[in-house]
Amino acid sequence: MDYEFDFLEILRNADLLLRGIWLTVALWVIAFVLALVVGLFLGIARGSPRKILNWPATAYIEVFRNTPVLVQLVWFYYAFPVLTGIQTTPFLAASLGLCLNTSAYCAEIYRGGLQSITAGQWEAGRALGMSYWTLMRRIILPQAIRRMIPAFTNRGVELAKMTSIASVITVHELMHEARTLSTQTFLPLETFTVVAVIYFFLIYPGTVVASIIERRLNARGA
Amino acid sequence: MGYDWDFSPVWRNAGPLLEGLGNTLWLSGWSIAAGLALGLVLALLRLSRSRVLSVLALAVIEFYRNTPPLLHFFWYFFGLPILLNISMSPFGAALLALSVQSGAFFAEIFRAGIISIEKGQWEAGRALGMTEARLMRRIILPQAVRRMIPPLMERSFELVKTTALAATLAYGELLYRAMVIASQSFRPLETYSAVAVIFFLVLFLASLGMRRVEAVLHRGRR
Repeated sequence: MDYEFDFLEILRNADLLLRGIWLTVALWVIAFVLALVVGLFLGIARGSPRKILNWPATAYIEVFRNTPVLVQLVWFYYAFPVLTGIQTTPFLAASLGLCLNTSAYCAEIYRGGLQSITAGQWEAGRALGMSYWTLMRRIILPQAIRRMIPAFTNRGVELAKMTSIASVITVHELMHEARTLSTQTFLPLETFTVVAVIYFFLIYPGTVVASIIERRLNARGA
Repeated sequence: MGYDWDFSPVWRNAGPLLEGLGNTLWLSGWSIAAGLALGLVLALLRLSRSRVLSVLALAVIEFYRNTPPLLHFFWYFFGLPILLNISMSPFGAALLALSVQSGAFFAEIFRAGIISIEKGQWEAGRALGMTEARLMRRIILPQAVRRMIPPLMERSFELVKTTALAATLAYGELLYRAMVIASQSFRPLETYSAVAVIFFLVLFLASLGMRRVEAVLHRGRR
């Protein structure tokens, strides 16, 4: 191993990587926020006894959980426009694909959390004359969401790793900028090592937070 | 929607696609096997009494769990050959990236399974004069393995989905074959939809199989 490392060249291109980080974060925020909203409705539909709600939600969740996310992104970028005639930008296709994928996983988290609330809570709410949505908003969700937080945090970590796949459909996020930089500088070893470290520092805090929350909830016996 | 569906390019290329599926499964199989072996080693290091080894294993595990898989594909394909002055095939790089990363996830499953076995089992084994290695092999692992099987299978399905990333290194797995067919036939919608269906069938059937295994394990426990 007599290879001479040249990390200075990478530092000189820090602005390129910073722009990439910015887009990675933007992609993560957009996809995660939307997925949390879409996932809630899907999760409720998935847990519903009514078949007309339950079956489509189940099909959606199973399709997105049982296909590779790269296939989904490629599909939304190359196949979706053929079907609809709407030309999507890479960023839009990536946000859409990542959001729909994550929403399927979030739906299962919501469903599990909602099922963990005892029937007595529903009955008490109904006895007070609350409507379904009031009950959900005031009684059920506040209790259930606390139990779901560790699972959502883990999902956030998974999504952060998934954003790198957007580089394949030419979204100029961190991974894409890394590939550009590695070919421009002829320094793939240094570039990908530095970018691995950047990703680690972006993502690891999420993992730490998840385990802290989990430990606290366990200690409280929630 | 006035789109004329034409699946004939897919049927005409059924041979290459099936071969691609074969390569996907080939890569998955080897990566799972290597990942399990590496994961077991990492778990044992993590549980070892030597603080240095334990911290080292923890660092490897946390690093690989908190960085994107696509980055590892590129690091092993473009970076590692420079470091070691070797040449690397797409299959080799994909195998390394997949097995090291899933090894980190497998290690945590192994560790959780091993520490879930009650202390009394260790004490009883020691009281009988068993060596640590024999105790682990004869008493602890046979009990722990049953608890590990469902999460290990789930992780393996994740790995199968991640093999699609090998398309970015032009390894001839299912998605890569589809990309070639889509660009030659100008039929991305049909081709990528077919690939999504193939992946779905494989993974969905596998997850149904897993539910069977879980049921059997559950029955055996009582």
